[in-house]
Amino acid sequence: MTIVYNKRRGIVTIPIRHLVTFVAFLALCVTGVAGVYAQTPGSPSVEFPYTGNRAAVWIVAQFHTLLGAFILGAPIFVVMAEWLGYRKQDLRYDRMAKEVTKITVILFSLTALTGGLFIFVLLATYPQFTTWFINQFYLVFAVIYPLMFILGTIALYAYFYTWDAWKGEKKGRHIALGVLLNLLCMATMFAINGPTSFMNTPVKEEGISPMEALAAATLWDKIANASWMPMNIHRIDGNIAFGGFVVGLIAAYMHMGAKNQEERAYYDWMGFAGNLIAVGAMLLQPFTGLLLAYQMCDYDFSFCQYMMVEQLSMFFEMQGAIVGLMFLGCNYYVWLSLRRIQGVEQVRMTVLAPIVMVLFPPVAIWGLTTYWIPEPMSLAILIPLALAPFILGRFIPVTVSVHTVMKIGFLMVVVSDAIWLTPNGFAATGARMLDDLQLPESWDFLGKMPTKLGAIFSLVFATTINYILYGKAIRQGTIAWGKIDGISQFVLIFLAFTSIWAMGLMGAVRSLLRKFFHTYNLIPDFTAESFTPTLSYSAWLITGITVVFFIVVSVAVFVALRPVELKGREPEGSPVPAGTK
Amino acid sequence: MGKAMFKLVIGLVVGGGLWFTAKAMGFPPVFQWAFFSYAAVGTVVFLLLDLPSMKPQSGWGAALSVLLFFGLLCVGYGAGASLLPQFDPEDEKGKTAKVLGSAKSGNPLDPWKADEVIQRAKELDQKVKELEARIKALGSGLATVPQPGGAAPVTASVPAPGGASGGDILKVGEEQWQLQECYNCHKLRGDGGKKRGPELDNIGTHLTVDQIKQKIMDPKSYMATGFEKEWEKGRMPDKFKDVMSDGEITALATWLNTFKNTAVDTPIPIKKK
Repeated sequence: MTIVYNKRRGIVTIPIRHLVTFVAFLALCVTGVAGVYAQTPGSPSVEFPYTGNRAAVWIVAQFHTLLGAFILGAPIFVVMAEWLGYRKQDLRYDRMAKEVTKITVILFSLTALTGGLFIFVLLATYPQFTTWFINQFYLVFAVIYPLMFILGTIALYAYFYTWDAWKGEKKGRHIALGVLLNLLCMATMFAINGPTSFMNTPVKEEGISPMEALAAATLWDKIANASWMPMNIHRIDGNIAFGGFVVGLIAAYMHMGAKNQEERAYYDWMGFAGNLIAVGAMLLQPFTGLLLAYQMCDYDFSFCQYMMVEQLSMFFEMQGAIVGLMFLGCNYYVWLSLRRIQGVEQVRMTVLAPIVMVLFPPVAIWGLTTYWIPEPMSLAILIPLALAPFILGRFIPVTVSVHTVMKIGFLMVVVSDAIWLTPNGFAATGARMLDDLQLPESWDFLGKMPTKLGAIFSLVFATTINYILYGKAIRQGTIAWGKIDGISQFVLIFLAFTSIWAMGLMGAVRSLLRKFFHTYNLIPDFTAESFTPTLSYSAWLITGITVVFFIVVSVAVFVALRPVELKGREPEGSPVPAGTK
Repeated sequence: MGKAMFKLVIGLVVGGGLWFTAKAMGFPPVFQWAFFSYAAVGTVVFLLLDLPSMKPQSGWGAALSVLLFFGLLCVGYGAGASLLPQFDPEDEKGKTAKVLGSAKSGNPLDPWKADEVIQRAKELDQKVKELEARIKALGSGLATVPQPGGAAPVTASVPAPGGASGGDILKVGEEQWQLQECYNCHKLRGDGGKKRGPELDNIGTHLTVDQIKQKIMDPKSYMATGFEKEWEKGRMPDKFKDVMSDGEITALATWLNTFKNTAVDTPIPIKKK
């Protein structure tokens, strides 16, 4: 039974199979909660073979988070695309938005299923803690989160199934429904971020014990903990970037599978649009991430030591390498994209742009070392420097070609990432730091946070200049859609894979920050697995999860977007009443 | 091809230049190689910029290429991370077991044994009071000045607090220093610290056991001269009163009080509360 928009009756009906999905999800939540209360404190946990309990939770939790990130990020991307299509009257945007929504619908169900699985695995492996934890957030886990998820699912299905019905004059209504879907998704994420961030930074009060502070706290106090809002901001931004990169991945797949030039041109454009939105959001990621880390260090300064100097310091070394590769990747995509713009040779930019690019790392490092955030003087140095090419550049007649600016941009991306990557010392912990592994004392500023932040600013600045140039080239030249270099599709795949991997790595860092606690300083983890794993172990695990996620997304793309060739079949005649001649 | 060779040569020259400059400036070899590798990455990037265009792939060839590319990424990221220095979990396991062992035996961290914990806390309080009385009675005979040059302080035999089995309060104190990773911020006997907190070799001259204990339990109670910013920002965690038993804090304070090396410029603490 397939029920869609009924034009004659002017109503939208929902297919039975989807109603069954809602009911199944509801049942899952109810049984999950019932399961929680069926547990008695002290009941033994199961032992997962091969992986161990911690890795089992890690795999399911990260898989659920990756799916969640996509289904929360994609609707933001989709509505933006739909609105752009409506405003520009460009049908490509609408087609892209609808295709991404098709995939989102499939992954939405999987997110719900893995969410249920996550709860069950937690209950099986850490029954006492999970029971205690759900008790702390009973209203969130039993009412708010499932309710928001169900409302979000209804809104998503309604949004998808009204796509063709609500077009033309009704397009505004459809976009409004998309905005409502986004608000629901956002509220869902905010709700679940409460318990998640609580595990890192639970309520605390000066002068009383954590347990006493917890006993006195309301549900809202627990949700609105120290790292809740920074995590919300970081995740919103991250999800948009993630959604954009996955759209780039979908476009790359479809571009390779395109049967004709028209399709190739469309998926070339889709990759461009996905990448543009992703990079726009990615440029903010280091800063929202820093805000989250800053807030956590403010909550407990030992987090900072653990992250930057001790057990997790090499995780951040790897993060520097990964993020540097992503910046190189997205700049390389622009470089390849420029090749298919006719007339790009005529595009020029003020000479101040490459000069400021070169000056940016030393000036930013000096400014931030002298005036460390949140001192406003650091911004008073950086903002005029960043704006100089655009304001002063108008008065300087000397210009340089787009390729020269971009090559200097690449050089500065490599230099900035090298600065970011240079650690205080090549040892996994401060305790094992030897003199022949450490920076000389006169150069130890290279390993400090102001230098790292200066390098990040420089990376962002060089990439912004390259994308501004790209925009200029698009406006002045003519894009030959579909003629993009074949390597670019691998760059899109690379960016999607790397962004997923980076998300896994940073998610692991955030979870490991709790050290040997389930909830920091409140509930210790008495199991034998409550130690910091090696970077190597974590990296291979994250790689495995990323591969599984890729397989799932690839299957979803295949199922949702594969070209359907209808085989010839007998036309279904009108039913003929029995007995007629 | 000529262009590529030229770039390779430039890359080698830059890498070699960085390597030798770093060596001349006193960077350890690991950094010299790191700088060389940055130049190598830069060379690869600039070689990629001039790579001839690749025709769009399609069909099974494309599928195979994508699979190979995924394989390359997987191995690259997994192996890349494995090449970096690895933290040895064994270093942490012993510490964690000790900290959690203490928590299991009555630290108020275990929410499922609240009654037991309260009872245990009362007993510990009583023990601590007795212990403090004993420490005071022992007087200066307990705290001996550590030898200049980093020699370990002389320890005295006192029943350990908090149910510790050793019987040596100074050993318990030193163990707490390691377990709570105080060395991350404070330098002592020439080890640890990154100027985040004051060097403590002469803390015993400035503060009594009770005062050190107060500082550990309430970091805002004293401010080290020259560390005004750190004090204002609350850099010293205020969690120790929650994660350590009273006896453990007393042991740590007692051990720290034995450090009276006047050759070290430990900043004078100012009472704030």
